[in-house]
Amino acid sequence: MKRVVWYIERDFLRWVRGKVNVFSSLVMPAAWLIFVGLALPIRFTDNYLDFITPGILVMTMLSAGLSGGTLLMFDKILGFFNKFLALPSPREDILFGKILFTSLRGLIQATIILVIAVLIGAKIYTPLQYGLTYLILLLFGILLSAFSTTLVLYLEDHDSYAAVNTMISMPLFFTSSALMPYSVMPDWLRIVASLNPLSFAIDAIRAADTGAMPVMQIGELGALCVIVTGISVYVFRRVTV
Amino acid sequence: MNAIETHDLTRYYGTLCAVNRLTLSVDREIFALLGPNGSGKTTMVLMLTTLLLPTSGSATVSGHDIVRSGQQVRRTLSYVPQDMAVDIKLTGRENALLFARLYGVLNPKDRVDEVLAVMQLTGRADDLVRTYSGGMRRRLELAQALVHEPEVLFLDEPTLGLDVAARATIWEHITALKKDGMTIFITTHYMDEADRFCNRVGIITKGTLLALDAPSALKAHMGNDVITARIDGEFRDPAVDGVTLFSYANNEASYLAENGREALPLLADAFIKSGIRVRSLALREPTLDDVFLHTVGKSEEPVGFDQTKFRTMLRRRK
Repeated sequence: MKRVVWYIERDFLRWVRGKVNVFSSLVMPAAWLIFVGLALPIRFTDNYLDFITPGILVMTMLSAGLSGGTLLMFDKILGFFNKFLALPSPREDILFGKILFTSLRGLIQATIILVIAVLIGAKIYTPLQYGLTYLILLLFGILLSAFSTTLVLYLEDHDSYAAVNTMISMPLFFTSSALMPYSVMPDWLRIVASLNPLSFAIDAIRAADTGAMPVMQIGELGALCVIVTGISVYVFRRVTV
Repeated sequence: MNAIETHDLTRYYGTLCAVNRLTLSVDREIFALLGPNGSGKTTMVLMLTTLLLPTSGSATVSGHDIVRSGQQVRRTLSYVPQDMAVDIKLTGRENALLFARLYGVLNPKDRVDEVLAVMQLTGRADDLVRTYSGGMRRRLELAQALVHEPEVLFLDEPTLGLDVAARATIWEHITALKKDGMTIFITTHYMDEADRFCNRVGIITKGTLLALDAPSALKAHMGNDVITARIDGEFRDPAVDGVTLFSYANNEASYLAENGREALPLLADAFIKSGIRVRSLALREPTLDDVFLHTVGKSEEPVGFDQTKFRTMLRRRK
């Protein structure tokens, strides 16, 4: 466990000393929140900002989770990964370090987005509801970062990862329940959206916001996390260059 | 028990054979694997550091099998890849401390102070690596590799891209480590460095080990004198008895001669008779460069120099 902390410390120091990238990843979700959340003329609800905020929070975690892959890709290209693999410490520590770092970084970014949302007029919820929101976001972050870091092991260079990244993130976002409720979706989109893991997280947060206990969705996300992380650990243990 | 033992170690990438039945033992010495680009040097290091599984054959590092006991192998070795992978946004001390902690060294902070002092980085330890020169980054990598006092040190092209002074410093450190009983396995392109600092060298081409001995022994084994001729314009081997051409590149022809002093005037005459303009002729003892060209040239006909083909080609041009 200690070793995971050292790996996280390394990534954290590199992140906060990067100056620009601390803020750059916030621009996109903040822009969605402000320009779409406040401006889009929507008929199905009188407060679109409250509706779209869970979607934007999950979107923030999505790009944070996929950035885990970018981090590992650069470690791989620059030779750090080989050095880490040649260490006697268990190789899954590298994986856990990346998962936890990117998920925690995602939660920090999500917090800033949440603060912006409240500042521009989103509803304030109870501490329990926020607690549930964070739990759901954390599970979703772990799921995405475990997936993206493991995917990188099979890719050759940063270009192919960047391509996969764009290929995944935009379609996932638009085919989820982030922007509109199931009731106003065309039939074909409703089916796709209900199978999209992004929707699991978004729907769970919306359920928590209405005061419900989204046990089912949290359970589903948790189970997905365990399965994907399990596969990732298996792959990392056997990895060769 | 030798620090490194390999037996028929083989690695294929698809149908390409990167390392071909390589048998080797290395112990408490500086051993250099020499070879052209793509000859299998790095593949060899990757297998011995457990980053790549061999296709067949076996190897042990400090007595541990590289396939079955990967973790024990990794505990006894350190690996410095050729990429200069140090975090430029961290300080030298932070870089070294990370490795000391990951290796589970006792008193990591004291140990880091020690290795930084050995690598003469104490004064700059708390500066960001961004501000370090190439030579300092290399030394920092060595410091990282030494934190856990490894038995075997693998260095992939340790002096690549460094200036003369930085290279000299790196070799000073490597030589000192060997004196302390460490086994050092190096890959390099630089023959002069291998000649001066390594106890034994292995020459590898297309995955096959062609020569293995001390640099002095390899040179002595060539036995003969080397004559180099700088040629102006078109070149064709005048074919003198007792003199064999073994390489021609950049207008410089290298010959092996049984008796250099006697061959020199004969070769000069032959050149004049065939109408080849010679700028200079030099007689010298063989260097490791010559050994390398001789060994690699013999094995690798399409890429290396082939006298017969070369002559046929020139004849056709007339």
